[in-house]
Amino acid sequence: MSKANVTRRQRVRSTLQNASAFLKTFRRSKMGVLGLAIIVFFIALALLAGPLAPYPPKLMGAGQPFEVPSAEHWLGTDDVGEDLYSQLLYGTRVSLMVGFVAAFMSTIIGTMVGLISGYFGGKLDEFFMRVIDVLIIIPGIPLMLLLAAYLGPSIWNIIFILVFFGWTTIGRVVRSQTLALRELPFIESARASGAGDMRIMFTDLMPNLVGIIVPQAILSIVGAILGEAGLSFLGLGDPTNQSWGLMLYYAESYGAFLRSAWWWIIPPGLCITLVGIGFTFVGYALNDIFNPRLRRRGA
Amino acid sequence: MHLLDIRNLKTHFYTLEGVVKAVDDVSFTVDEGEAVGLAGESGSGKSTVALSVMRLIKPPGKVVSGQILYKGEDLLGKRIAQFDDVRWKEISMIFQGAMNALNPVYTVGNQIVEAITHHEGTSSTEAWKTAERLLGLVGIDSSRAHSFPHEFSGGMRQRAMIAMALALNPSLVIADEPTTALDVIVERQILDLIADLKRKLGLSILLITHDLSVISELCSKAVIFYAGQIAELSPVAAMLKEPLHPYTRGLLDAFLRIDGEKEKLRPIAGNPPSLLNPPSGCRFHPRCPYAKGICSTEQPKLTDVGGRLVACHLFTGAS
Amino acid sequence: MREFVLKRSVFMLITFLVVLCLNFILPRVMPGDPITHLMGDVRLPPAVRQSLIARFGMNKPVWEQFLAYLANTFRGDFGVSFSQYPKSVATILLERLPWTLFLLTTSVTLSTLLGIYLGVIGAWRHGSRIDVGIQATGLALWSMPIFWLGMLLLYGLGYVLGLFPMGGATSAVMSYPNTLEFVKDVLWHSTVPILTLTLGSYASNTLIMRGAMLEVLSEDYVLTAEAKGLGQNNVMWRHAGRNAMLPMVTVIALNLAGVVGGAVFTETVFSYPGVGLLIFNAIQAHDYPLLQGAFFVVAVTTIAANFFADLLYARLDPRIKY
Repeated sequence: MSKANVTRRQRVRSTLQNASAFLKTFRRSKMGVLGLAIIVFFIALALLAGPLAPYPPKLMGAGQPFEVPSAEHWLGTDDVGEDLYSQLLYGTRVSLMVGFVAAFMSTIIGTMVGLISGYFGGKLDEFFMRVIDVLIIIPGIPLMLLLAAYLGPSIWNIIFILVFFGWTTIGRVVRSQTLALRELPFIESARASGAGDMRIMFTDLMPNLVGIIVPQAILSIVGAILGEAGLSFLGLGDPTNQSWGLMLYYAESYGAFLRSAWWWIIPPGLCITLVGIGFTFVGYALNDIFNPRLRRRGA
Repeated sequence: MHLLDIRNLKTHFYTLEGVVKAVDDVSFTVDEGEAVGLAGESGSGKSTVALSVMRLIKPPGKVVSGQILYKGEDLLGKRIAQFDDVRWKEISMIFQGAMNALNPVYTVGNQIVEAITHHEGTSSTEAWKTAERLLGLVGIDSSRAHSFPHEFSGGMRQRAMIAMALALNPSLVIADEPTTALDVIVERQILDLIADLKRKLGLSILLITHDLSVISELCSKAVIFYAGQIAELSPVAAMLKEPLHPYTRGLLDAFLRIDGEKEKLRPIAGNPPSLLNPPSGCRFHPRCPYAKGICSTEQPKLTDVGGRLVACHLFTGAS
Repeated sequence: MREFVLKRSVFMLITFLVVLCLNFILPRVMPGDPITHLMGDVRLPPAVRQSLIARFGMNKPVWEQFLAYLANTFRGDFGVSFSQYPKSVATILLERLPWTLFLLTTSVTLSTLLGIYLGVIGAWRHGSRIDVGIQATGLALWSMPIFWLGMLLLYGLGYVLGLFPMGGATSAVMSYPNTLEFVKDVLWHSTVPILTLTLGSYASNTLIMRGAMLEVLSEDYVLTAEAKGLGQNNVMWRHAGRNAMLPMVTVIALNLAGVVGGAVFTETVFSYPGVGLLIFNAIQAHDYPLLQGAFFVVAVTTIAANFFADLLYARLDPRIKY
């Protein structure tokens, strides 16, 4: 067996060992497991929306308007008789998709900016930090609304807007961690042995950043989902799509209150909240695992 | 009657990894006007003794058993609200590294005044006068009373802490590593200051340190701490001349003597023991050059050797 | 301290300039014709459109437009509203801003106080059931979309229990017998919106305060304060709390942007006649000048509030040297 094969074998084995150790630790976290269960549940709903939904979500007259939940319509109907349970199921797709995509893109951008800013320092770093500071102060929602008004309602516009504001948190976190790692001896030695900046950043620094990036990324999904729900609620969502926020927009605008249609008001918001809690739990659990806080002892 | 009489004190920490026996059956006394030094390595449990006396042990730590008699009364038996009256008035404390022991958002004078007005209800003006006098006592100009801790140097902060500790005329002052975080010159000044104050005010001091030279300067009695237990308890002069416990011998050997022959520094072999899982029998036996068979199986009791106490099988008469 | 104030003033100024420029650039880079966006709507009579075009220099080169824009902005001229013609944008904003400011000031104050209190208690008793309860409730409320929270409260307290009005800031009366009645009416209408906004924003304050408090509690000076026999309350609030509050001020400032966003949602749900609802309506009506004006005003208010928070921080922390 060649030396290369042996090393690769060893590396695979150690990765698997790390993975199983990680899973064991994760399983110990009640919060993490519960959160994961919630997320998996909703992902399943999203994937199985088609077969699970008894009616097409936009079928007007599937039932009488404002029907109370019943065996035929588990969550009742809206003002034009569309089945709300089906809407809820399909809404899972949009909410989760936007959440994932927006968070993913925010993470990429934030990581790049944070890494470059922290590594190179100097004027570049100052510039990016000022940019982040400015973006944080300017009220995001009003600006998002302004942009959305100009760009029109579309899923990708929403994602763009969410990413435009969403990358700053990860950017800051990655930057401060990069700053801390930059001074460590192993980076010094990498530089001394002639490694280029790119190599150092991606091969040496990145693996050590994963521990803070991943929890942050998960937590940023919550913000993205809430953001999409908010924009949809204000009527800037894509009307051709189904989303929980959009359901609440229709509820608010088409008389759910007047008709005491609690079955229209409660479920979509409840789903958003539950999904948010699920991701928050997982994010916190991962944070505890990757970045355990030191406990104080007296001796 | 002793001023401070610690009897069979046990303070344990119930951590996720297990029970850390930081103080495991410790007894010693401090008499009026006496300065007792508590010596040991970092992590040996000596600070825990101090915190136990002040009842500042926080979960997961707990004073498990024993008595701490102050002027005959068991401090551990009091309710915390009652004990708050005793704190600082009778027993005060100088913490290690006054860098963080002073609150950064209040002026130094304010922090001294606070103790005075809280306990004695004196007027603010009176209290400030006292505070300024105290600062003068420790060599800080009274005009600095309105400065914030971060505006003081390390040595000045330590002095301020000392002034604060004396604010209510306590009988006993516990000094936890008062000079560890300071450079040698400042250390000298602080030690001189403490000795001076002790003489002037007739203080009793419990000094906690890892530095035997500090103990040899200020204290008349030394308590050598190892792995949560007392290894040797003896008058300082006798200890320096003829250390009984092998650990004490090791500690003295590890320090240079400015007047002695040029000898090689001999550090103590091995590593400090884990308080979670201490060695069986005598806790020092893995590092002891004189260890015998019995040392690894039976813990030596404190034996009286000419008025001094040692916990070592060399003196227990065991073979 | 003076250096710090100077540094922050410069930064705030830069942010203000960014907003100023943003407001100018957006209608000109967004899809569509800037003239149509800002003044070319059919709801305005042609004569008015012409005068606006002249006033804002729309047919001149860009930099001249920019100068005209600056001059107009500092004069308070944001153009004329499409949907509420003949009212000028500035007039409308002036009418609506006080309501939003009222909503924001009360709820920020309340959520800060609530956050501090619960954070301190949670940290002091960390691990206890109280602590877990505080954190769990906070988490649930934070994960809730604020507009949904508002809808629930409106539905429960307004429709079902009938304790509070269904919306608006005042009842539809022509006049009030005296000021007290007016104040009572306003308070009655604002209770649930303020409640919504407070509940929606206190959770992050609690979390930060608790975290800061836990860190502070492990500091030596807290031990010193306890050793001085000052008593639990004194140590918790005067010594630990006072220090833990410092990062809180920063956090509150950072959260201001979020709270403003929350106000937009809250006003929409409760039909509360502030700038938030104005934005919502303006979007629906494609009233861009109104939108731009509202955004500008909101942004400037937030910047000013941040600046005051910075000053407050400098005042509270004697270590500020910079």
